Amino acid sequence: MRIEVDWTRCDGHGLCALLLAENLGSDPDGYPVVHDTAVARDSVRHARRAVAACPALALRLVRD
Amino acid sequence: MTTLHRPAAPTAYGSARLLAGATHGVRADLAAHRAVHGAQQHRTRATLVEETGAVRLLGRGGAAFPVSTKLAGMPTGSSVEVVVNGSESEPASRKDRTLMTLVPHLVVDGALVVARALRTRRVTIAVHDTAAHASLTLALEERRGSEPHPERVSVRLQPARFVSGEVRAVLRGLDGRPAVPPGHRVLPTRHGLGGAPTFASNVETFAQIAVLVSLGARRYAEVGDRAEPGTTLVTLLGDVPAPGVAEVPTGLPLDALLPAAGGPVLVGGYHGHWVADARGLRVTRPSLREAGVPLNAGVVARLPESGCALAEVAAVAGWLARQSAGQCGPCLFGTAAVARDVSTLLYGRPAPDVSARLHGLVRRGACAHPDGTAAFVASALTTMTAELDAHVDRGGCGRPYLAVLPLDDGVR
Ligand code: SF4
Ligand code: SF4
Repeated sequence: MRIEVDWTRCDGHGLCALLLAENLGSDPDGYPVVHDTAVARDSVRHARRAVAACPALALRLVRD
Repeated sequence: MTTLHRPAAPTAYGSARLLAGATHGVRADLAAHRAVHGAQQHRTRATLVEETGAVRLLGRGGAAFPVSTKLAGMPTGSSVEVVVNGSESEPASRKDRTLMTLVPHLVVDGALVVARALRTRRVTIAVHDTAAHASLTLALEERRGSEPHPERVSVRLQPARFVSGEVRAVLRGLDGRPAVPPGHRVLPTRHGLGGAPTFASNVETFAQIAVLVSLGARRYAEVGDRAEPGTTLVTLLGDVPAPGVAEVPTGLPLDALLPAAGGPVLVGGYHGHWVADARGLRVTRPSLREAGVPLNAGVVARLPESGCALAEVAAVAGWLARQSAGQCGPCLFGTAAVARDVSTLLYGRPAPDVSARLHGLVRRGACAHPDGTAAFVASALTTMTAELDAHVDRGGCGRPYLAVLPLDDGVR
């Protein structure tokens, strides 16, 4: 699975970086920094949680 | 009679094809066009796929995608849309406007070839300047009497904006929505204009297709480099022997278009890369991409040594920041911060965060604007070390800002 950010929607709340630290960090403005788009199997649960928590509906988990 | 704006006469290195008959800067009307290129021809989709593949025709906008592959992947039928992207929105580039104003019939021929091959009658030409609009509209009028065709070609004037040049933004604008790229991946070939499968490409791509069907693949490939045969259009500016649009055979050493010595060279326009000189570079999309300096839409500039190179970079960086459509945070804030950093360096003060900020632009937007901005600024900073030293050590290089790189194309 891959994690994708819709940059036109993201408001930089920074929440996702806390919930999916394996893949995401934050820049000084709070926008996510994608270290790795590939979500490991062990992290899928975290990724789902981040997707659900994003207040801007900016995250998507897609099958490769 | 409609009066048409005349661009500066283009130059041909070797024999002109696209611009054959137009190198004096005079628009080719239908009769003049037919005298050079012959009658309108058509191809089946299979033949067109084969011919564009045989000459390795690449899209002439920015992405340089193989035309043959794109054509082969299209469905056919009456709902398919053909879109000619003429919204050349980078002020430094003039090649598409030159084609549309001087040889509009070549562009229309190419669009009709593609439409017929895909068995559709729906053709849209999106332009953003009035001269191109007038020339194409006149071209369609000229055909109405003597060469009626079943395809409906509509020429549509779109608002001028940098990101609008991006094809997905153009398609959205044509659909009456804000002309900005969508946030998610969409393929215009599947979901384009009005949601229909759309073959969209740059103006020059269609003009090349018209030349290809007129000459045939074998004659088309008699000129140019084997990796990308034929000719290509470039827009040259700055300290060059012949500024303006030029048609060159592919494979030509880039040096042949530039003076023997001079300031830094910009390849690929405002989303392109700076190099200290053009030695070893040849004008083909594959070889320039391999060298890390993609040709993009064909803008090549050489700065004169008499001016301040860093000031040119700072001016364009500021312009690029103003072109952010503002929909993506990292692009909006990042391009502005990078532009401020370049100005800081111009005034001889350190900008310690500039590398991190440039890095933060990469792949963090809905379109390639932040990536292109990062490429332009990062390559400038690595190429112009002597200039940077002069600014940091002495607060400036003492040379004036010459505004060689235009920021406004004066489009009305
Ligand atoms: S949680 Fe959503 S809105 Fe917030 S930074 Fe992450 S992607 Fe952007
Ligand atoms: S990346 Fe920048 S220019 Fe592109 S859509 Fe987002 S905000 Fe607009």
